[in-house]
Amino acid sequence: MISFDDYKDQEPAWCPGCGNFGIRNAFIDAMTGMGMEPHQLVIVSGIGQAAKFPHYVKCNAFNGLHGRALPVATGIRLANHRMHVIVMTGDGDCYGEGGNHFVHAMRRNVNVKLFVHDNQIYGLTKGQASPTSMEGMVTKAQPFGVMSEQFNPLAMAIALDCGFVARGFAGDRAHLAGLFVRAMEHEGFALVDILQPCVTFNKVNTYEWYRERVWKMDGEHDEGDRMEAFKMSLLWGERIPIGVIFRKRRPTYEERNPVISRAPLVEQAFDRSKLAAALAEFY
Amino acid sequence: MGEPSDKRPVFDDDECTGCGLCVDECPNDCIDLNDDDVAFLARPDDCDGCGTCSEECPSEAITME
Repeated sequence: MISFDDYKDQEPAWCPGCGNFGIRNAFIDAMTGMGMEPHQLVIVSGIGQAAKFPHYVKCNAFNGLHGRALPVATGIRLANHRMHVIVMTGDGDCYGEGGNHFVHAMRRNVNVKLFVHDNQIYGLTKGQASPTSMEGMVTKAQPFGVMSEQFNPLAMAIALDCGFVARGFAGDRAHLAGLFVRAMEHEGFALVDILQPCVTFNKVNTYEWYRERVWKMDGEHDEGDRMEAFKMSLLWGERIPIGVIFRKRRPTYEERNPVISRAPLVEQAFDRSKLAAALAEFY
Repeated sequence: MGEPSDKRPVFDDDECTGCGLCVDECPNDCIDLNDDDVAFLARPDDCDGCGTCSEECPSEAITME
């Protein structure tokens, strides 16, 4: 029987009170609840406070370049799609630096779970506006307030027909753990955008701010209705829906790719003569 | 910081996210996280009921009773 303690690794160096603790603990709750063992997982991350996640949880891990977690995760799935591949990233890392990868991973529908710690600020670099910072928010780097439109990851995911689109809140551990389980059970790419208070640098979107606004929409709309989901994804302000917003089963990249659809690449024989033949034209 | 009192913190396990702020802020070092990373009063004899934990908890998971 796998326990919470089996997943604990280094002592986290996040600020006390950080929303990342709620996310980490909800994640471990979800994994232990599913009977998932650390060796069955690969967690891939980029750069940022969220990207430190695999250091604080026992798992197979790859901590790569800023914004580039999704390409690495895609590569891992192509090599061995028996592994559960999870990307832990933040709003800056994923929607900023990695925005291009975010778009194309959803188009491919590679079976990777994308969990975005969305604190609406760059925390690691001490408080610059991120793509999800709200318009008008004043930071040390944005003294006149944020002048760009706030990025809406859920609306974009639904526009790209992403098969699993959800939003969680780091202050609701049990609800978030439930979303992680559903994302893991979904066959295909899954996005969970997680509202995460940054107690040090984001003085606008605090625990209290989120708590006054979030409402659980589970069961209140048809998850399979794309137009309704799109409307839900646009809600932001006085009420912010959390829960599964959109769900659709689409063929995954792994199912469609003829080379790996029968067996993972790692389980296939390596024919050296084919490689020699392919290389022959270069010399 | 609050004044010492006869009250003691009561933890709502469902609301606690395990962020550890109360552990850090407690002036008498009497709170720990359990094996599931949920806060609890580990050293009740050291607690003087000041309520700092309750005030600081971002999840409003601690009440003084």
